[in-house]
Amino acid sequence: MTGNLLLTGSLATALVAMLACWTKLFSERLIKFSAIASLGLIVVASLYLWILIFRNDFSVEYVANYSSTTLPTIFKISAFWAGQQGSFLLWLLIHAVAGAVLIKNRIQTKALGFYFFLQAMLAFLVLAKSPFAENPVTVAEGFGLNPLLQDFWMAIHPPIIFVGYALLAVPISLSLGALLESAKSKTWLESARKWTLLAWSFLGAGIFIGGYWAYKVLGWGGYWGWDPVENSSLVPWLISAVLLHLLNLAKKKSAVLPMAHIAAVFNYSLVIYGTFLTRSGVLGDFSVHSFAGSNIGIVIAFANAIVLLGGIFIIMLKAKDFPQGKMYENFSEQAFIVLLGALLLVFIAVIVWIGMSMPLLSQLVGESAAVDTDFYTRTTAPLAAVLVALVIFTFAKWSKSISLGGKIAHAGFVLGLAAVVISAQGETLTQELTKGDSVEIAGHKIIYQGQVLEEENLQKFYVYEVDGAEIKALTKLRTNGDDAAREPAILKTVGGDIYVAPHAPENLETQNLILNKDVFAMDGELGYTFKEAEIVRNDSGKPIRAVAKIDVTDGNQTETIEPAIIISADGGGRSQSIQIFDGRRRVRLTGVSRELDKARLEILPTLEELSNLPVTSTINTKPVIWLLWLSVTAICLGTALAIKNE
Amino acid sequence: MRKILLLALLIGFIAYAGFNLSNSVTPYVGIAEATASEKNVQVKGLLNENFIPQQQGNEFIFSLRDEETGETMTVKFDGVKPDQFDDAYHIVAVGKYHSEDAAFHAKKLLIKCPSKYEGQQPQT
Repeated sequence: MTGNLLLTGSLATALVAMLACWTKLFSERLIKFSAIASLGLIVVASLYLWILIFRNDFSVEYVANYSSTTLPTIFKISAFWAGQQGSFLLWLLIHAVAGAVLIKNRIQTKALGFYFFLQAMLAFLVLAKSPFAENPVTVAEGFGLNPLLQDFWMAIHPPIIFVGYALLAVPISLSLGALLESAKSKTWLESARKWTLLAWSFLGAGIFIGGYWAYKVLGWGGYWGWDPVENSSLVPWLISAVLLHLLNLAKKKSAVLPMAHIAAVFNYSLVIYGTFLTRSGVLGDFSVHSFAGSNIGIVIAFANAIVLLGGIFIIMLKAKDFPQGKMYENFSEQAFIVLLGALLLVFIAVIVWIGMSMPLLSQLVGESAAVDTDFYTRTTAPLAAVLVALVIFTFAKWSKSISLGGKIAHAGFVLGLAAVVISAQGETLTQELTKGDSVEIAGHKIIYQGQVLEEENLQKFYVYEVDGAEIKALTKLRTNGDDAAREPAILKTVGGDIYVAPHAPENLETQNLILNKDVFAMDGELGYTFKEAEIVRNDSGKPIRAVAKIDVTDGNQTETIEPAIIISADGGGRSQSIQIFDGRRRVRLTGVSRELDKARLEILPTLEELSNLPVTSTINTKPVIWLLWLSVTAICLGTALAIKNE
Repeated sequence: MRKILLLALLIGFIAYAGFNLSNSVTPYVGIAEATASEKNVQVKGLLNENFIPQQQGNEFIFSLRDEETGETMTVKFDGVKPDQFDDAYHIVAVGKYHSEDAAFHAKKLLIKCPSKYEGQQPQT
């Protein structure tokens, strides 16, 4: 409640700031006052969310969904942006902070008005699906953060991406503000380029960090999987690159000015479109990590339409006043090469856009469909090759005209693409390995050394020896011994990485016991008596959990266990295994009869039995993969350097 | 002359992109349609619990149940059992149905887990 009031206040003050910028209704002092008030309210709301998380206030649904009393501090901090609602608030927070800098820099008032319009819009989006919403059920403990996300990279990857997204609101605001003044205005170009460079390096850093993280974790398909969430950040990054070049070119060539305006508008629209695609749930069945479906889709679609149509409308309004002239004199002029490069980037962005939008586009014409990831690589590869040629050509011919930062960034681009191609030429091998087994790949000898459990059985390591060096693949375990998140074992060498991915071992045979109420049954060693079962319902009467109470005895002592099946909102169920007698047995509830007089129990192998199983391992070599990390770092740092130099 | 060349290149590329696109589109269908189709498709379903998933060499075999119609279909996945398969709620199989062995040959599985990140894990 408090949180929503704060957010409503920030929405109202952002609207006042917008009106103060656009009309003469209010004094100019009011702009500053209301902008700071809006920022202040957003900061307080954000701190409030953190306080709720740290206070373990599970009466707030978001806190219950993404945090728990046992979550370590660093992950409580990052639980803030673990879900859709919180990540929107983070975006709004960064947007508002950047707004304060814009006021300090005394940017043009009309542009500031657009910026506060976008701030109000973001505040509205946060309110539409608020992180402060009350929890409909009363719970004593939160779900906690997915172990996969309990990672250092989770703490930094989303904020960096959102800095990129948030800062892209600056060039569109400057563009539209300048248009309202004069279609011939060029004063906005320099400041817009600096902000775009900053946004671009952050967005790039965020994307690259995400890629590196995905490389270090199993199940995300490597550093780049052409997943809709990845694509939806790649498209604005590509168009930002186009915008960067156009902003620079427009300083000299007035005829490029309209294209710079169009790029700025499309760029921010694409940021919102990407958010729509990944956060609205429309891609639920197509994406690795899109958020679950929600009604917010329609709100974001509406926001997207306002930005795109509004921006295009203003550009059309001023179209007749745009400066005339030639964009380039001849085909051997640098301006032409830059424009051609920008055009290729647009093509690549369009291809990625079509691919990621396919599930939506195909629904318009008939049955829903998605594209194979091959589509992206096959179609964009020739364009990327031409881009590389253009960059090399420009380096050879106009080396002096490129700043040091620009040189570093472009070299990073070329070398990065080379690394993408080379690192894919490695060898791969999948084999079942029992402790002591060894295999050879590309001249490397790999010996499987078995499994080790650490951290009170919460971490399992598969240990391999590669050319005498020991590497470990971490698998995070749930408290019940199930796998929660898996990582590969990586040996970094000058030639590249040896990448070993263990697969979840085949389950040993399990035994199913049907237990009748109050009837004693044995599994060979232990005796079970099913006492009672209960269906737990939430406040609205929907079943959320089925719990059975079972007495287990080994003849000497008796332990009462309460295995449960958790029923999800759409009717599916899952159950986690629990350990009996300190790990001597592991069981899982797999069914309860409607009359609650029968329960089905699955007897699972113990953790110790599991750890002695042979492990199927996939071993890859990734030649010069380090060059990729180095190159993308060069892109970001070179871009940052360019801001300083210009 | 140069303009014509550029135009020809552009048209050529668009044709190439369109060809790639039409080749890689995989429609999203139910089990009934998947078994009747010879194209690459995506099928979403639940794990059919009556059939115990098994690894046979480099092939992982399980049975998928259509949530709406209840029909089942054997799926042969070219690879090892995906991580988090046991946690799976929904499974999306991408591939083609082969009538010779009456099985759906999946080259990719998307595992949808009821986890916090509402995440699915793709396995390729």
